[in-house]
Amino acid sequence: MDEKLQQLEKQYNEIPIPKELDFVVEKALKQGKKKRKNRAPQWLLGSAAAAMLFTVSLNVSPAMARTLSEIPVVGSIVKVLTWTEYEVKEETFDADIKVPAIENLENKDLANTLNEKYRSEGKALYDAFVSDVQYVKGQGGGHVGIDSGYEIKTDNDQILSIGRYTVNTVGSSSTTMQYDTIDKKEEILITLPMLFKDDNYIKTISENIKEQMREQVASDPDKVFWVKGGGIPDEELFDDFKAIKADQQFYISDKGKLVISFDKYEVAPGAMGLLEFEIPSDVLKNDLVSSKYIH
Amino acid sequence: MKKRNAFQHEEIFVQFIREQKERFYLLAYNYTKNEQDALDVVQDSIQKAMLSLDRLENVEYMKSWFYKIVVRTAIDFLRKHKRLQVTDDDTLQYLTPAQEDVYENVDLEHALEELPLMYREVVILHYFEDLKLADVANILNIKLSTAKSRLYKALKLLKIQMQDVKGETAHG
Repeated sequence: MDEKLQQLEKQYNEIPIPKELDFVVEKALKQGKKKRKNRAPQWLLGSAAAAMLFTVSLNVSPAMARTLSEIPVVGSIVKVLTWTEYEVKEETFDADIKVPAIENLENKDLANTLNEKYRSEGKALYDAFVSDVQYVKGQGGGHVGIDSGYEIKTDNDQILSIGRYTVNTVGSSSTTMQYDTIDKKEEILITLPMLFKDDNYIKTISENIKEQMREQVASDPDKVFWVKGGGIPDEELFDDFKAIKADQQFYISDKGKLVISFDKYEVAPGAMGLLEFEIPSDVLKNDLVSSKYIH
Repeated sequence: MKKRNAFQHEEIFVQFIREQKERFYLLAYNYTKNEQDALDVVQDSIQKAMLSLDRLENVEYMKSWFYKIVVRTAIDFLRKHKRLQVTDDDTLQYLTPAQEDVYENVDLEHALEELPLMYREVVILHYFEDLKLADVANILNIKLSTAKSRLYKALKLLKIQMQDVKGETAHG
């Protein structure tokens, strides 16, 4: 190689590598693995063992028994409250994990299944945080933060939609959102497929979302989606968004609209963050089983 | 047995990333020119890659496949943050090695940076990352002939720049 090129290469290689790189890489690998696993459908239905674990930890753990705040729910019996909270505040490490719990559902199986899911996921987040902190301390320090909690998206006579978010901060941050929607009258958990007659909804919704993406890009050139016509020349598109998953994250808004949610990186560059698309009910009407929930 | 392939890919991928992470960082940095943003690009790229790992048919393509993701993520990033990159004085001082006597090298140092991105990326991928020109073309989504002509143009520009610089110091 030419001598000048060698010198240039040397300079290129001498750019300082920040010490956070190791951690950012390990974190990304770990989150990537988790996301891959989550792709496989694995709906843990409340087994007897899970229910037992739930009861036991309820009695044993003082943290579990701590009820911190109650979310005011007007005119309904089913309630969501903060069941337990993990809090850590150190100089460069902070965690705030709020675990929700659903109360007063007559259907105890459903309540236990959901609450156990929330509890074990909250605990897993906390454990992961603790091991991250140890790792970072061993590497000479850095900033680690986790903020997890929930928001009530909808709470009316019919529907309760809870969204649980997790913001993971290591240098930069990643955010994920998971929803559960309950029919308070029937006391059942609503899944996306059960709202529709057949699989055709996947296509209907996906096409509508792609259209919305293109419209958004057309009116705001700063926006970018991984879709044809989404602000990236076709030849640069790589692994573009084709269709929603059959069990894509969703909730039902107070007005009875279906809202589809995407995590960071799912359909757009990370800078676009979490994304939500409200699907017009008109578009869905041919696929819907009934207009009971969505209208 | 697609699933098993995917898991084998995962192991190889994780190892590949761990071994080469500094190379990816340097490449990302070359686009973002900023430490924090380069880390973001590396993180975004790894996540994106893991989500589409199943679609990688042959592990032999992993290197150029992943470089393509890094390049595309970095370009996405630049597009999203269209702004003037301002480096503060401290960083500048830190990045500039203390060279008291060798003036030529100070100019040589900027030679690569001053090269327009379209030429710079070809030089980096081909010479510094040891990728075949065909792979470089694939990564940058350009024709092989375009990659070739950009490389020649880049070398020409670099030489001209450096010669000019030498001429200047000789006269001044």
